[in-house]
Formats: sequence, structure tokens, C-alpha cells
Amino acid sequence: MTNQRKWFIGAVSAVALLGAGQAAAKCGTVTIASMNWQSAEVLAEIDKFILSEGYGCKAEIVPGDTMPTLTSMMEKGQPDVAPEAWINAVKEPLGKAVAEGRLVMSTKALADGGVEGIWMPKYIADKHPEIKTIADAFKRPDLFPAPEDKSKGALHNCPSGWACQINTGNAFKAWGGEKNGFTLVDTGSSAGLDGSIAKAYERKQGWLGYYWAPTSILGKYEMVKLDEGVKHDAKAWNACNVKEDCANPQKNSWPTAEVYTVVTSRFQKQGGEAYTYLTKRNWGNQTVNTLLAWMSDNQATGADGAVHFLEKNEAVWTKWVSADVAKKIKAAL
Amino acid sequence: MDWFYEFPEMGSSALRALKKGIDGSFRDFTREHGELMEQVFEPLKQFLIFSERLLTDTPWPIVIAVIAGLAWFASRSMKIAVGTIITLLLIGYFGMWEDTMRTVSMIFVCTITAIVLGLPIGVLMSRFDGMQRIVNPTLDIMQTMPSFVYLIPVVMLLGIGKVPGLIAVVIYAIPPVIRFTNLGIRLVPADVLEASEAFGTSAWQKMTKVQLPLALPTIMAGVNQTIMLSLAMVVVASMIGVQGLGQPVLKAIANQYFTLGMFNGLAIVGIAIIFDRASQAYGKRLQRHLEVVHG
Repeated sequence: MTNQRKWFIGAVSAVALLGAGQAAAKCGTVTIASMNWQSAEVLAEIDKFILSEGYGCKAEIVPGDTMPTLTSMMEKGQPDVAPEAWINAVKEPLGKAVAEGRLVMSTKALADGGVEGIWMPKYIADKHPEIKTIADAFKRPDLFPAPEDKSKGALHNCPSGWACQINTGNAFKAWGGEKNGFTLVDTGSSAGLDGSIAKAYERKQGWLGYYWAPTSILGKYEMVKLDEGVKHDAKAWNACNVKEDCANPQKNSWPTAEVYTVVTSRFQKQGGEAYTYLTKRNWGNQTVNTLLAWMSDNQATGADGAVHFLEKNEAVWTKWVSADVAKKIKAAL
Repeated sequence: MDWFYEFPEMGSSALRALKKGIDGSFRDFTREHGELMEQVFEPLKQFLIFSERLLTDTPWPIVIAVIAGLAWFASRSMKIAVGTIITLLLIGYFGMWEDTMRTVSMIFVCTITAIVLGLPIGVLMSRFDGMQRIVNPTLDIMQTMPSFVYLIPVVMLLGIGKVPGLIAVVIYAIPPVIRFTNLGIRLVPADVLEASEAFGTSAWQKMTKVQLPLALPTIMAGVNQTIMLSLAMVVVASMIGVQGLGQPVLKAIANQYFTLGMFNGLAIVGIAIIFDRASQAYGKRLQRHLEVVHG
């Protein structure tokens, strides 16, 4: 390639970039997938608000779910944005679509990822700062009395039939729960699990068990995740920790689910500044938990939640947008 | 004409305030009185744990012998006793012994609780029409209200486990005992009562020696229904942490394990049939004196 041609290509791309900059002023129509769980719903509403009020897009919400939405994005290029995509289940086809340039993962939507593990209430952590890891907690059965036998400690298991029931059961074995004077308590359903947390919290009693974030329960009742003390070992995890008949489970930490915002390449090219927003927009689980708890307490819709978030958490979202866009959004609130 | 097409609702903010207010005051109530409520139910909990240990720790041949013996004692029918043994052996062979024992223990305590509470209420209802006017609609509510609605406050008060499970089961299963007791006593013929009065019975004697014995077959039909209804609640109870045959059923639902669900479902049916046949046969034996009367 001659120098002249290189220069020529450079000039053309510079012009193309300029063109893209102009297109940003009118980003056009953008469809945003709203998934059928609370955190994704409210994030979609926030995106809609910011994209339409801040960037002048014609933003529309379309209902969706992980698999159908991502498949449709890969095959048909519609909808344009999946704000909160839990990609663990679709890693392979999604990776292919990204490699072929049909989709982009613009940012980690949840900075902390989806977190699972063993949690205890914050008031216990405050009173007993020495309890940092799961092993520490298992040394104190007296702090977490079992509902049916006060002489034993209790580890509240995940609801019956969920995948986490198996890996929590294996964790109980791996950390020697029984030897330490603990029992594994069946909670039956997520309503039972949530109820047991709510009851313990209202009465400031000890509680130890499986939970996950981001969730409204963790926003409503502040809990501390206990450190596993070991790194996640994917090989051992898949070979044993998730198997019901694993003979000798070892300590392992729960994997963090990766949660990305997925955008079609069409919008990446045409969105301009609006797309730049989607590369910067992410939030921590604590913020999400608090917002979800507010929504549950007030029985609010996703749209109510989005407005509440934009009103109360300026410090979080002003980092995602430029100063004059922030001004426009504030004016629209 | 807006009001004609749009229902004049209370308004979302007022409604939200109302819901939040009720939720909040209930939360305060649990905070203040939860401990006390738990202590009130402590003896019941101990009894539940004792009964479960008794059934799960006793060697299986003894348990089968005792249950079959009880079935025979109630029914005096070899067919029912042998059927009981075969059913229990099959349940054990398919690896559901422990869960089944937990469920049987739960049903046993629930039925006793329902009888202890329901019988006096039924008797009072039959004596006082005012009481009947209050109790009947209450029973309607108990039978139709979706269980999870009252499970939320019960779990908030007492946590998860056996006692909230028992409360849920008893609320759902007690109405037949109450209704059939009331009905049975009211159906005792007036001439029999007159005759007893002529012999100078006191109210207490009339109740215990005339009305209750004559009403017993009807009451037994109510007890039979109560047992059936408590078995139907096994799966719901397991959703708040009651162990037994309900847990594997929940697991089967979550993962579409068809066979697992079927086996445990059939085990529940098996116990139901044992209890049903035994208690029905017992009720029929109690009714034999009626046949004598009619020749």
C-alpha cells in the first residue's frame, strides 16, 4: 500500500466520522428491550428517558426476555438495545454475532455483575466485625439459631428445585456445616426465603443463607455478603459444585454473572453521541437494590422508578452524559 | 359523563398510602408481639418436632406394624390392613420413606389440632344460632381465601417451618369438622332429645350421652374430610419450608421432572387412601347401631 492510498483512506474515514457526528444530533428511532424482571425494566425506562429527553431520539420500549430478545437482535437486528442482558446462557452465539460485527457489548450494565452467595444481615456484621468469611460464620452457630432447634445454627437454602439449591447444599457440605453444628433449612419457595429474611430483620435476629443481587430484598434489608475465602474455580464448579450427587464437594466461590448492555451495530454506527452514552452507562448493585426496594415499597412501575432514580441519584447518572445533556434531562424531569 | 365510563377510583396515591399504612402497622405489630406469639406456639412446635422424630427414628417395620394395626383397629377389615402394609412397603421401596413419615406426622398433628379446636366450636355453633351466624361466613373465608395471602403475615410473625405450615393447613382443613359437628348435633331427632329430657338429663348429660354419640358418625365424616383437605395442602405448606412429600413435588415442578413429581404425588394419594378408608370404615362401624334400629 502506498503512502498516498493510506492518506486517502485516512481522509475518507475522517469525513465519515464527521458525518457520524452530525447524525448524532438526530439519532432517529431506537427500540429498547424491557425484560420481564424489575431491574431490567427500570434500566430500560431510564435509557428511554435519557435517550429521548437528552439526545432527541425517538425511543420506544418493546417487551422482551433474555433468549428471545437476544436471538432477535442477532438475526433481525431488532430491537436496538438490550439494556440488561445476562449473557452467561447465550455466550457462544452472542460471541459469534459480536465477532461478525452484528452486535456490540457496549458496557457492563451492572458494574458488579450478578452476585450470588451466602449473606447475613448488616446488624450482625456490625456487632461481630470478626465474621468476614463463610468459615467465620460457621464457627458461630449460636448467632444464627435454627427455627426448629435453637441449639443449632441454620443456613437457609435456596428454594426447592432451583439450581442454587444444589450448589448451596454442596457448599454446606464443603464448609462442614453439619460438623460445625449447623442444619440446612429448606425454605421451599422464594416467598418462604424472602419471608424468613423479613421476619429475622424486623426482629433483629440472626439470619444466614443464600441470596443474590441485585434484588429489592437486599435494598430493603441491608445484608452483607460473606467472602468465600477462595477464588472461583470454574472447572471444579461445573464438575462437582453444581451436581447433586457430587461425593466430595470442595469450597468454591459462586461465579459472578456478567451483565452487559448489548447494542446492534446499526445503532452503534448511527447513534453517535447517544451510543456513547450507552458505553458509559453502568451502575452498582447497591444503587440498584436501593432503587428496587423503593419501587417495591411504593408499588411503583418501571417508569416511576426511572423518574425517581433520575431525581434522587444525580451523582450517579450525570457521569454518564455531558453537562449540556444533563441540563436537558434535568429540565425534563 | 366521565364518571360513567371511568370508575371513580380512590386515587393511586391515597390507595398507596392506605396499603403502606396497613403494611407498616402490621410490621410494627410483628416487631412488638412476634416474640410473644412464638412463645405461645412453642409447645405446639415441640409437639410437631417430637411427633416427626418419633415417626422418622422408629425402625420402619415397627412403624408399618403400628399403622397397619391402627387401620385394622379402626376398620376391623383385613383388606384395609393388608392394603396399608403394601402401600407403605411400596412407598419405602421407592425411596420416599422419610418424606412420607414427615408428611404423616404433619397430617397427624394437624388433624388432632383441627379436632381439638373444631369440636367445641361446632358444639357451640349447634347450641347458639348467633354463633352459627358468625362462624359460617368465617369458615367460607377460610376455605376460599388463597393460602398465600394469609401465609405472608404468618411467616412474618412466626418465620418459616412447621408451625406456620400447621397454621396454614389447619385454617384450610378445619371447616369440615366444625360444620359436620354442628350439622350432626342439629340432626339428632327431637323425639330422642325429648325422651332424654323426660328422664331428667342435665344439659351436660344430654350433650355427652345423647347428642354427641348420635352425631358421631356425621362428625367422623367431617374428620375424614379434614384429613383429605390437610393432605391436599401438603404442597402449599412445603412452600414455606415444611419438609415432607411436598418438597420433591416443588422440585419436580421447577425442573419438569415428570417421574419425580408423579411418584411423590402418588405417595400422597396412597396415604390419603389409607386414612380415608380407615376413617370411613370406622365411621360406618359407629353407624351400625342405626341399622339395628331400622331392622
